[in-house]
Amino acid sequence: MSTDLVTARRERVLDAMTAAGVDVLVLGRQDNAGYVCGMRRLWTAGTRPFGAGCIVVGATGRVHALSSWDDGIEPPMSFDDLYPLTWNPRIMAASMAAIDGLAGAGRIGVDELTPSFDRAAAHFAPDADVVAADDLMAGVRRHKLPGEVEAIARACRAAWVGAEAALNAGESADPVASAIEALAARGVTVPSSGIRAERRGDGLSVDIGVIRDLYEGGVGGVFVDGRRAGSTALADACRDGATHADLAAAATANDWLVRGLGMGFERPVIGPQVGLGERLEADMVLSVTDGNRRDVIHVTASTPVVLSARP
Amino acid sequence: MSGDGAPVDEVASPAPDPGRMGSERLGRLRAQMRAQGVDGAVLMHGPHVTYATGHVPEAVDASHANHCRAVAIVGAADGPARLHAHGEVGEAVAAGADLGALLWPELDDGAAAVGAAIAEVLGDVTGRRVAVDAVTGAMARTGVLDGAELVDASRVLGPARVIKTADELACIDQSQRHTERAMAEARAACVPGATRAEVAGVFLAALREGESEPGSDHRNEIDPIFQPMPLHRDGGPRTSTGHVAFPTGVDNPVFSEGDLVWVDAGVGWHGYMSDFGCTWVPGRDPNAAERSLFDRWMAVLEASLAAVRPGATLGDVGRAARAVEPDETPWLPQFYLAHGTGLESAEMPIIGTDLGQAFDDGYELEAGMVLVFEPVIWADGVGGYRAEEVVAVTGDGWRRLGRGHHYEPFGT
Repeated sequence: MSTDLVTARRERVLDAMTAAGVDVLVLGRQDNAGYVCGMRRLWTAGTRPFGAGCIVVGATGRVHALSSWDDGIEPPMSFDDLYPLTWNPRIMAASMAAIDGLAGAGRIGVDELTPSFDRAAAHFAPDADVVAADDLMAGVRRHKLPGEVEAIARACRAAWVGAEAALNAGESADPVASAIEALAARGVTVPSSGIRAERRGDGLSVDIGVIRDLYEGGVGGVFVDGRRAGSTALADACRDGATHADLAAAATANDWLVRGLGMGFERPVIGPQVGLGERLEADMVLSVTDGNRRDVIHVTASTPVVLSARP
Repeated sequence: MSGDGAPVDEVASPAPDPGRMGSERLGRLRAQMRAQGVDGAVLMHGPHVTYATGHVPEAVDASHANHCRAVAIVGAADGPARLHAHGEVGEAVAAGADLGALLWPELDDGAAAVGAAIAEVLGDVTGRRVAVDAVTGAMARTGVLDGAELVDASRVLGPARVIKTADELACIDQSQRHTERAMAEARAACVPGATRAEVAGVFLAALREGESEPGSDHRNEIDPIFQPMPLHRDGGPRTSTGHVAFPTGVDNPVFSEGDLVWVDAGVGWHGYMSDFGCTWVPGRDPNAAERSLFDRWMAVLEASLAAVRPGATLGDVGRAARAVEPDETPWLPQFYLAHGTGLESAEMPIIGTDLGQAFDDGYELEAGMVLVFEPVIWADGVGGYRAEEVVAVTGDGWRRLGRGHHYEPFGT
């Protein structure tokens, strides 16, 4: 990942903090931490208990991260910006207290609220209000930088490697295993939504969701004779200004979902029962599911760009 | 056990009974809630949801898991737990949970429905003690749980989860056996010239072999680690521990004949996590110095296991391990001699961490606890040996979970 992209994302977050009056961000979500610091960490599945994985201090402009080593970090972050893994809440609190600008913070934004962090913050930042800042991060991430769109397109091309391998798997082979091994040969072993491939009559239903260099890519559909079936109407409707009603009218299946895609699952989230007040905007990137078919779409000022087009 | 490698246990645990497992877990959770005066629990962390309802969330990226969270709501009185989940819910049905509509607790326009579901199950929460593992920003902005006294869910889940039922132990045993089988294929692929990801691909594909029931499959929970280690402490990334960095797990190195490769993987079955650790030597036999590391590692493991019994403290076990290697603590400084496993891959009890000796000395082992031993023996210039062994504490000692392995290529 380029240092320029990491720096540009960091600047956006610092600007959003200033606008929201948030002095310090304490981020527990891996994707939020990845956004501000670009650090690649060991991937684990599923939800994690909230912990201070990454700290952004507005006053110093510095980003600090939980790690006992400097592997996987990008400039401008250095070893001196890290605080070590610990099992001991007192040691963690001491690490927090040592971060320049944290003790005097007036407002600390977190991406998830927990009773234990409130209690800990009362010790290392006694004057601080702890406030929800998940919306601050979601707001910044809602619109993609050009470098992010390129990274998503690369991840989509990786997803196609899996899809093609599933399509080319022999009758006796497990198409999912074929996709897994083909992706691994390209160095991709981390799923986003996962790898699905199932034979249905004459067709193969495939949905591949992977993460490559911290960005998600995906594609899905039922393939008959090697060609992908299904309507592109919902993807075509993903234009600047499109409303929930526009998308609902374009969807051909009852189970449709239009959701942000970037460093994983993002905002907006628009589906039959959710996102009624949302409106699409240029520079969003969306995973667009209409029944079995799924594409990744870049919303632009003019026509939508399909990032998951077959390479 | 002997230094020639662990004996192999051919007898698997009996198949778990999902209904019994669900009701026993819920009973243990409620016993803790009542003992601690907790009126209700609103749970959104995957392993907590599984414990309360039997629902096993998919092993997807955290960003997906967060947005498509399942929510479990549990009152302190009897009756089924409530589950609101996206996707497959067959395991929750088998465990006896009561199903509600799917929720979007991350989203501002989804939070009110979370509040309504909580009110439906728990009634008015004003002034009542409610255990939560997390409150999303949307829930906070919407005022869901306002007026309740919130307590950390881990305070009720932790003591309930640390003692495993027979069904939970059977799940860990099966998960470990399946992981061991897939790892045998991965080891054959771990040769000079292969990449980390290629070996991971063989492992992940092999996990699918022998699958049958949807929803009870083996789900990979960690990007599998096959990390070639430096021979010197300062030969890898800079660390704050003075020891080597492990697991970094972010690159895609090509293996070569000189490597010692540390292996670590975790796979869930009905949500229960295996933990496989070993040291592999691509393309050659270990040399005498490397074999000596393994022999010392085995001595630490045997001494540790000899101290495992109900009533022994974590401190007793740690001291037994240190007595074998008095010059240097035989585990990584940022980790532990042993940790538990269950619905998460690093649970209590943990032995030898920076929680300190007083913590270890005050914590007694009980039957039904699980320990994953992972000592490390390091000789600067030679490298290190690391492997893992999963055991359950029994009424009078311990028993292995998983079939066991021969620590190839170091064992027989």
